[in-house]
Amino acid sequence: MASRTTKALLSLGRINIPALGLNNAVSRVTYATALSVNSSSSKKGAPERNGRGFGSRKPRREAEGPRTEKMPVDQDWTAVYPAATPFRPGSVPLPVRMGYPVKGGVPPEKKGNLELIKIPNFLHLTPAAIKKHCEALKPFCTEWPSALDTDAKCDEHFPIKVECTDYVSSGLSVRNPSARIVQLKVKLSVLNLDDHARKKMLKLVGERYCKDTDVLTITTDSCPLRQQNYDYAQYLLTVLYHESWKTEAWEAEKTVADMEEYSWEGSPSQKNIMDLLLRMNVAGEGEGEEVREQLLGRSEVQEYKDSVTRLKNEGDNEGSVLQYKEAVKKVFNL
Amino acid sequence: MAAPTALKRELLPLARILGGISHLKPRSLTVCSGHRKCSVTRSCLPLTPSTSFHTATFLSSSPSAITVTEEPDTLFQKLLVSVKSHDSAVLDSYEFFATMAAKELGITIGKVFEPPKDIKRMTLLKSVHIFKKHRVQYEMRTHYRCIELSHITGSTAKVYLEYIQRNLPEGVAMEVKKTAMEKVPDHILKPLWEDVPAEDKPGQ
Repeated sequence: MASRTTKALLSLGRINIPALGLNNAVSRVTYATALSVNSSSSKKGAPERNGRGFGSRKPRREAEGPRTEKMPVDQDWTAVYPAATPFRPGSVPLPVRMGYPVKGGVPPEKKGNLELIKIPNFLHLTPAAIKKHCEALKPFCTEWPSALDTDAKCDEHFPIKVECTDYVSSGLSVRNPSARIVQLKVKLSVLNLDDHARKKMLKLVGERYCKDTDVLTITTDSCPLRQQNYDYAQYLLTVLYHESWKTEAWEAEKTVADMEEYSWEGSPSQKNIMDLLLRMNVAGEGEGEEVREQLLGRSEVQEYKDSVTRLKNEGDNEGSVLQYKEAVKKVFNL
Repeated sequence: MAAPTALKRELLPLARILGGISHLKPRSLTVCSGHRKCSVTRSCLPLTPSTSFHTATFLSSSPSAITVTEEPDTLFQKLLVSVKSHDSAVLDSYEFFATMAAKELGITIGKVFEPPKDIKRMTLLKSVHIFKKHRVQYEMRTHYRCIELSHITGSTAKVYLEYIQRNLPEGVAMEVKKTAMEKVPDHILKPLWEDVPAEDKPGQ
């Protein structure tokens, strides 16, 4: 008794699970006959054996045609197919044909067609059904704040972007280990960093920083859960920020090779041009610090300095090489 | 004898309620997260009929109250839903369903595009033993479809994703890439060395 009722409940519950295509035929049969089986077991438990002898009390119902013939045109289709169910040729009033056509013929009809049952159908998701579902779902949704229309405004107020991925698939396990990966992206221009802090941050971070877009990407996947990875990423950001503001004692030993940018003061280029100019002007003026400062102050020397700095920082492109050429010509008065 | 009749009487309202459950689906499912198929909760039904009647009566009453919590809603700048399957016709229908659902719920759709399909081919020996010249070739085609949604709140995203994932057809897999936006946390606004200058700096 209990098993029969549980089977009935099982069949009724199964209607609502879309992706379980197990025992469809069984569930259909149990759905159709669940109540009648129940009633028959309760009413005719004892006289079942004698029924065949004396003739059945209830007149046997004649087999009627498919339901499609009795369906009105303006029926509520969402009641016919409320949830994901396999294709039932007797319930779908469409003259559908599917399959490879017989030689010189047409694809087979829908009655008894396995091809139509095999593929997933969307008969339960007609536009009317979708509208009904969304009407019911509307109260649970919240509105997007109207002040954040453009991406620029979003970036201004909410500069940190956290990316994570969810995976849905059918298989032996529901979980996907790649779902724990968290990516934190932030633009360094948004953080409160001074010059030294920024340079130190770039050195600490290394490859995770993209120069073109000024975006620091921290990807964490070392923890088993997504929440843990997110916390770890936030922790890393905090630590990087505070550590980059600190100045350690050994940072004073920074050599020219460690420098990120080229600076002209104290470089061999400055020494060379100073010596050159001094030798050129040796006849006119005397040697000394004032001469050096005068030479430095001259506009050609400044231009030369700019062109050399640009060449070293940006590399050899047309503009920088031309600028260098012009500066050298001016220095030599060519 | 009394037990089955009593159960039968209660089966009818249960059928009616579960028939109507298609548009009441999300309300009872507050526990399940977006990336899990909720077959776990449903499997409780056949095992404990008494508790299932309990839920039936609960659902037949007025819809469950919507709780509004104080914690701020997450804001998703971009939600990239990509589905893949062996059948492009199924993906066509699913795309129609997902885009219509997004429009009905008022979600801005960025772009809907179809990345090129992947074909994995393998050439295997036809026979179990020898006959190297006679092979058989198989191929597996994977079709993709991507829907990009922008500017969604956390609650709307949960509702939409759960609705979409519940109606994911058989043989279709989905990946959802969420980009949440956040403010700069308070502890990164200023370096903490400013407040405590006399503190001994570690790591000397």
